[in-house]
This record gives sequence, C-alpha cells and structure tokens, in this order.
Amino acid sequence: MRRLADSLRGLVHPLAALAAGLAAGAVAVIVVGGSVGETYAEMWKGAFGSFYYLTNTLARSTPIMLIGLGVALAFRAGFFNLGAEGQLLFGALAAAVAALYLPAPPALAMIAALVAGIIAGGAWSLLAGWLDVRFRLNLLVSTLLLNYIAIYVCSYFVSFPLKDTSGSAAINQTNMIDRAVWLPKLFKGMSVHAGFVLAAAAAVLLFLVLRHTVAGYHLRMHGSNPLFALYGGVRRGRLMAWTMLASGGFAGLAGAVEVLGTQYRYIDNALTAPGYAWSGIMAALLANSHPLGTAAAALLLAALQTGGMGVERNTEVPLEIASVIQAAIILFISARFTRALLKRRKARAADGTAA
Amino acid sequence: MLLQMEKITKLYGDVAANAGVDFTLEEGEVHALVGENGAGKTTLMRILYGEETPTSGTIRLRGKELVLRSPEDAIRAGIGMVHQHFMLFPSFTVAENIVIGREPRSGILFDRKKAAEEAARLSAEYGMPVDPHRRIADCPVGIQQRVEILKVLYQGADIIILDEPSAVLTPPEVKELLAAIRGLARRGKSFILITHKLQEVMDVSDRITVLRDGRVVATVRAADTNVDELSRLMVGRELVPLEKRPARPGDPVLEVEGLTVRGGRGKAKPLLDGVTFTVRAGEIVGVAGVSGNGQTELVEAIAGLRRIDAGRIRLCGRDVTGADARDLRRHGLAHIPEDRYRWGSAKEESVADNAAMGHTDSAKRSGFLLRGRLRRMAEAWIAGFKIKAESPAVKAGSLSGGNLQKLIAARELAHGSPLVIAAEPTRGVDIGAMEIIHAGLLKRRDEGGAILLVSSELTEILKLSDRILVLYEGRIAGEFRADEATEEAIGRLMAGVTDHAEHAVSAGRAGRSDGADLAASRG
Repeated sequence: MRRLADSLRGLVHPLAALAAGLAAGAVAVIVVGGSVGETYAEMWKGAFGSFYYLTNTLARSTPIMLIGLGVALAFRAGFFNLGAEGQLLFGALAAAVAALYLPAPPALAMIAALVAGIIAGGAWSLLAGWLDVRFRLNLLVSTLLLNYIAIYVCSYFVSFPLKDTSGSAAINQTNMIDRAVWLPKLFKGMSVHAGFVLAAAAAVLLFLVLRHTVAGYHLRMHGSNPLFALYGGVRRGRLMAWTMLASGGFAGLAGAVEVLGTQYRYIDNALTAPGYAWSGIMAALLANSHPLGTAAAALLLAALQTGGMGVERNTEVPLEIASVIQAAIILFISARFTRALLKRRKARAADGTAA
Repeated sequence: MLLQMEKITKLYGDVAANAGVDFTLEEGEVHALVGENGAGKTTLMRILYGEETPTSGTIRLRGKELVLRSPEDAIRAGIGMVHQHFMLFPSFTVAENIVIGREPRSGILFDRKKAAEEAARLSAEYGMPVDPHRRIADCPVGIQQRVEILKVLYQGADIIILDEPSAVLTPPEVKELLAAIRGLARRGKSFILITHKLQEVMDVSDRITVLRDGRVVATVRAADTNVDELSRLMVGRELVPLEKRPARPGDPVLEVEGLTVRGGRGKAKPLLDGVTFTVRAGEIVGVAGVSGNGQTELVEAIAGLRRIDAGRIRLCGRDVTGADARDLRRHGLAHIPEDRYRWGSAKEESVADNAAMGHTDSAKRSGFLLRGRLRRMAEAWIAGFKIKAESPAVKAGSLSGGNLQKLIAARELAHGSPLVIAAEPTRGVDIGAMEIIHAGLLKRRDEGGAILLVSSELTEILKLSDRILVLYEGRIAGEFRADEATEEAIGRLMAGVTDHAEHAVSAGRAGRSDGADLAASRG
C-alpha cells in the first residue's frame, strides 16, 4: 500500500510539470490568437492521430530515448554528463564510416556500425571522465565544451574528407549507405525502425542492471551519497570510467540507429537541429533518471514535437508553440535539477579529503 | 510559578511526539529534561522556543497565556535557547557576537565601544569572565559556550534552554559550566537542561522530568532520586549491567607508526603528528580526547579515506599504507564512521540498500545481487539490534538517528573482521541503543576482534576500553591501562595539562612515546 503510494507520489511532480507546461502553452496559444482546444486537438492528432503519426512519434522518440537512458545512467551515478550531443555525433559518424567502408557482409556491417557508434560515443564521453579523474576538471564543464569540439570536428569530416561529391554539392553529407545495411523498418512504409526495439529493450535492461547487479548497486549508492560509496569500498575512478563509457555509448548508439535507420548517411546538422541530445537530457530529468520513466518521458517529448508539427500543418499557430510548452516543462522541473546540482557541489567539496 | 506548559500535544501525522505533556518551571530553578532519543524532549523545547506550534495545550508565563509563533516571540517573552551547535560568527569578537541583532547604536552606526562595555558589564554581573575583544575563532569551546549564554542573557532571557550543553566540553569545562548555571540560578535565572548525561543532571538540577514516548513518566526532585532510577525511568525497564571480562590480547592487528597528517594550506600545525600505537586481537583500545584534536583525521586515515603525509599503517601484518577503502575492507577492516550521514549511509536509499554496503561480495552470483539473501541479512540485524524500521524497504533517512546508528553498527560488526574502528559509535543515541552497540563491540572483542574505539565521551571510553590513549592536538598525550585510568587523570591530558609527574607515561611505555616523537620529526 505504502509502496503504491510512494510510486504515485513519484508521478506527482512530472504530471504537475506537464500540466503547468500545457497551461503555459495555452496562454501562448491565446496570445498568438489561436484556439486552445483546436491547437491541442491537432497536437494530439499530429502525435497519435493515426497509425502513421504514431509510428512517426515512435521513430522520433528512438534517439531521445537512447540518449535519455545514457544520461539517466550517468545522473544516477552522480555524474553530470551533459555531453550527449558530441557523443551522439561521434557515434553517428563512426557508424556511417563503418557502414560505408567496412568490407563485410551487410548483416555484419550493420552490427559493426552499431558497435562502432557505441564505442565512438563511449570513448568521447570517457575522455571527459578521464579529465575529471586525472585533472579534476569539472565534468559538467568538460562535457559541455567537448560538444563544440565534436560538432565542428564532425562538420569538418563531412565537409571535406568524407563529403559526398556525387550529387548536388549544396549539402555536406557522406555517401548513402548500402540499402542492405539499413536497420529494418518495423512496418512497411512507416518510419519507425528496429532502433526503437533496441531503445525499448535498453530501457528494460538498464532498469534490471541498476536494480539487480552489484555494479548497478554501487552506481546508485555513489549517486546518492558519494562519500558513503567511497567508505564502503567503491572506487570512484573506475566507476566513473565505466559509467561514462556506457553513458556515452548510449548516445553513440542513438547516433548509429539514426544514421542506419532514418537518414542512411551522416548529414551535417541533421542530428543537432532537432535537439535530440537536449530532449534526451530533459527526458532523464523529467523521469528523475528512472530508466523506464525516461523511456516514457522520451515518448512524451517526441509526441510534443510531432504534435507540434501537426499544429503547424493544420492551424495558424506556429511550430514554436510546442517549443514553448517544452520550455515551460523544463522550467518547472528545474527546481529539482538545481537541488541535485547543489548536492553534487557539496559532495565534491568534501571529496577533497579522500585519497 | 514562572512557566507552565499544560497538556501539550504535538502530532506529526498519526505520531504523537508529545502527548499531554505537563511541564513547569519555577523562578531560579534548574529543571532537567531527560529521555531517550525520540522521547519528545526536542519537540517540547521547540514548542517553547516558538519553532513549532503545539497541536493542543497551553503555555502560561507568570500565569498569563502565551502564544509563540516564532523564536522572536519567545525571545520577547524572555525565553532564550542555546543550541547544541553554537550559532556564533567565528571571525567576529566576543562582544559583537553577544550584541548581534540588538546592537547598540550611535546614530546609524554600530557603537562598538558600547558593545564591548555591555559585554564586559554582563560578564561581570553574572560572573562569567570573557574578553570582549577576542575573536570567537580564538576562543576555546568552553568560552564560546559562555558567549552563547551571555548572548541569551543580553537578549533579556529569564528562561534559558540549554540543549546538550556539555557534549563538546572537556571535563574541567563541564565543571565550570555547571557552576555557572548554579550561579545564574541563584541570581533568579531559570534553566531547562536537555541532556543525556545523568550524572550532570544529578549534580546541577533541582527537579528532573523524564519523558518516554512523548509522555511524562515522572517529575522528581534531584534529591529524591539517583542515576540508576533515572535510567530505569527513561528506558522503561531494568538495565542489564554490561558484563566485561578481562581482555586477552593476542597478536597485533593494527600497527600505526608515526602517522602524520598535515593541515591545509597555510596551517603550520599538523592535524596528526607522529601518532604511534598498536591494537591487538581481543582488546579494545580507546582514544579519548575533546573533539577536534585529530580523532576525525586519525580514523579517516586508517580507514583509507584520507591521504596521509607520513607514517606507516599495518593491518594483520600487511603494509596497507596508502591503500584505499576497498583494499582495507578486503584485508580485514570494518568501520563504524563518526558521522553516520556523511559517511555511513545514503539517506535517500532503502534500509536494505544501506545494509548491503560492503556485503555485496558475499551476496552475489556472477555480478548479480542476491537480494533475497541481503534482505534476510538486514531483517536479522533489525531483529538482533532491535532496530525500529517498518521494513527493509523504507528509506534509511526515515529512521531515527539511534536506529540508523544501530543499523550501521550491525552492518559493520557482521563482517566479523579482524579490525573494527568504532568512531563515536553512540553519539546522540539513547541508552537502549547504546547498550546494544556496546554489547556488540564487546562481543566482537571476545571473539578475538581488535577494536579501536574513538570517542569524545569519556564514560564510554572508560566503560569499554582495555587500554586508553589520549589524543591532544594531534599527538598522543598519554596512555593508561583501563585499571589505572581515572576520569580526572584523563581529563587533564584531554585539556592539555602535561606538567604533572603522575600523568607522565609510565616507564614501560616511555620507549614507545619516544618512538612517536622520532617518527614525527622524520615526517
């Protein structure tokens, strides 16, 4: 009974944030002179109105979900990894390169491309972790700044050495990946692909790992009270390395499935413009870093985005309204985020005593 | 009658922290309030100080009903409180701290001279000598407490609540404090004293009220009772006297040699200075000292939680200098930490998760936790240590301090490890929990465990230890066998008095103390 009450209480905050966001969105709709009812109806239709739109939403949620899971993992361990964007890009680029240039049978090439994505994203994330352990460089700062390096390095690669010179030269992109290496679609003619199944499975897997393995236990305890974990014999450096590797690996996998399942090549700006990385971070925050909750939040955020497109197609209200609602939700959950940050700062200050 | 609290009830949800409590205070009286943790002492005093509003009940001051909505109201009514943790500004002077909030002014400026005069006047009037111009940071703890009391007097308090006032004081400072309380009481001030230390209660109080489970069990005159009766009333049953057999020390388990930890940047004085000692299997070595003389650093250094600057540490014959907590635990360390919230637990996680820390190696199969086994382990400790927890699934933070402490002690003692470090194992816990933890430590000793007990509670040290070291300003100031130790002798070393011949280290141990000095100069 109490447990049920506890888990219900856990839902209160996200639901309240959602309601407040929708209310703020309603105000924005009224200000631009639209009808609130019509707008939200179109939004619903755009997200879930037909099987096509539903699968569209699922497809869009796929990278958000994977990124969100990686972020949630790092947050649960108490590491503020905000470098999902860079990890996503390197994962995507590595997957594209592997899919394009690895001389292997298609099925193998696909798996190799996914693995390459995981490794590339993980390695980029691990670098930030290493900088923290080795030079005490604040992880939050390093992960944020490494994003910029990743964005421009990847941009360079598709603009020069890897650029597709066969077609129109207007877009910086790699060559198209062979059709046989693409991730299979789940339904014929629909955009949702096997990456969604991977993401959903990853959510369940992560939930089980956190709850039932020794590593997951140590990770949770470190996130809850780093000094307690240290006292109990958890090694921070090792934990940080594995956590950052896995966290970045999720983002890298997100990049890989986007390339292999949706875009079939690496296109400059195609992964940064929709803000997948930041939506993923938001999903983790909304769900308080619970893996299954993060998956649900990713679906919600994707629905807000596809719904927003529906609003733009069918009403006079601009696409920005969905962004307003999203922004309002961030605002309402930020109270908790700040608290978590402060806790970490305190713990770090205390960390100075530790060997 | 100066103060009457009648039928005070305070409910938190369904739980009654106070249930129909009657409490009175006469003018010039010292009235002690005792009880186990969670008995409702703090709640009652928070109500009197305006920090909580009672669910029902009335407070009368000199016969007039009083409604207290905030500490401001209480101060205006002449009720002052000295908290267990001092609320002073270390970089301000004594006088500035005393007048804070009600500063004398000349025009719009703070009149510093007047403040110093006021402080000096109060100090003289109440016979509590302080130097108004001294900075708080330079004052010993005993003086800081005096400043706290003067501050409350300056605010015009007639009723002064003292919350655990002697917790951080050396024995001579405690004597001075008790004398000061009696002196002020003679001048008509009234005191409510919250404390765990029953001997102090007997020494200073006129009347004693015992609370248990939110109710008044008895209000008695100090002259008509004794410590044993008070303990019985507090706990609600007969206390079993602790049975302590003579120790049979075996091989050295922990050998610390020349351990030195330097202070932070710009601090010339090391926090630990060439500390050398040995703890053998089957004995409890107590480290006495006033808090802040290096105990925290000593424990953290041995437990692998703090870098050391010089010295060697051996555990079970193996050199573990510089090893981290993981290796130390593997090689036979268990550790009840000084601060149960900072090191000892994760408040937001479940009791079961908190219980599992350090035990995962024995409860896993190919990387997976055997949650069932861990849960049964936690349930066994909950039963064995009489921990009040609804189930292992509740958050550790929902446990009272004493119950969480019992959980930590149970977890660490369950390892059956060669060495147990017990740092302030019963700080802030009630008599019942203390009994259980003490019995657990003694049991471990009789099984052949080596126990390093670090405590600022002298009675605890004297009760459990087979040998006693006194730590003063980061050095070992002296060593006693349990049978030759007296409270007075240890108290003097704790206060830094070393010039008495009878407290010099006895001839047999002179060599060791020289060794410590040598190691210090080496470091």
